[in-house]
Amino acid sequence: MRAMIIDDSRAMRSILRRIVTDLDFETSEAEHGQAALDQMYAGVVPDVCLVDWNMPVMDGYTFITEVRANPEWRDVTLMMVTTESEQRQIVRALAAGAHEYVIKPFTPDAIVDKLSLLGLVPA
Amino acid sequence: MSAVVPEVEVPASEDVLAVTEDVWMALLGDDAPLLPRTVAPGAPFDVAAWSAATTISGGWQGVVTVELDEALARRLTMRMLALPADEQASDSDVADAVGELVNMVGGNVKSLMPGPSVLSLPAVAAGRAAFSSDSALACRVDLVWQDAPVRVSVHVPQEGPR
Repeated sequence: MRAMIIDDSRAMRSILRRIVTDLDFETSEAEHGQAALDQMYAGVVPDVCLVDWNMPVMDGYTFITEVRANPEWRDVTLMMVTTESEQRQIVRALAAGAHEYVIKPFTPDAIVDKLSLLGLVPA
Repeated sequence: MSAVVPEVEVPASEDVLAVTEDVWMALLGDDAPLLPRTVAPGAPFDVAAWSAATTISGGWQGVVTVELDEALARRLTMRMLALPADEQASDSDVADAVGELVNMVGGNVKSLMPGPSVLSLPAVAAGRAAFSSDSALACRVDLVWQDAPVRVSVHVPQEGPR
């Protein structure tokens, strides 16, 4: 399994990388949505993206809409990992095509549980 | 600065404390408790510090600021980046980690207030926080973690003629 971690914070990418690496995911990273899209257009297409919302250049919501607009990427699972906790924002992200939503701060178990729910790691 | 808190909803100190404790626990674990620290009202943050702020705008307006002791900021960074003990966190690493800290605290404070609102990207400084003269302190929480001070404050736009 391949995970792409998209967050403008190196520290947060590091935390998420350790969690998914422990689950035997291969990882790639991007500091904003546009950098992630660039990687995907270049052929680095992950099984799951862990996406922050508030980022410079391209935010996570726009990234999700861009990914969902490309039929070739329909199998990519999208999970928001963000401090955005307003119900309205959660509904927007899910409606745009996010499969799961995790609010920061989180525990490693919360990420593992969501990935399990998505069928990406053994329950 | 005379604090004139306008007639707007402001977060309760205990809610800001709860948010901060949650973030702290997630980032630093529960090796040591985050304890209250007694500081005189109006006293500036009194140690060499890193500070970071994020602005909430929309249905509710305010600025959430976190200030923390230099050594603590570096320990937080080492923990978040999982750096080995013999390695030093760079200033850039510290700015990144402290920015993420205020992003999490600010995002959760935003969720306590009327919306919809937008959270800005964090602004981080190696030094004490600067506050706008047209803002008023709405809430301040002073804490200490393993002898290192931490302050979270929330400012709101000040009422009246500018």
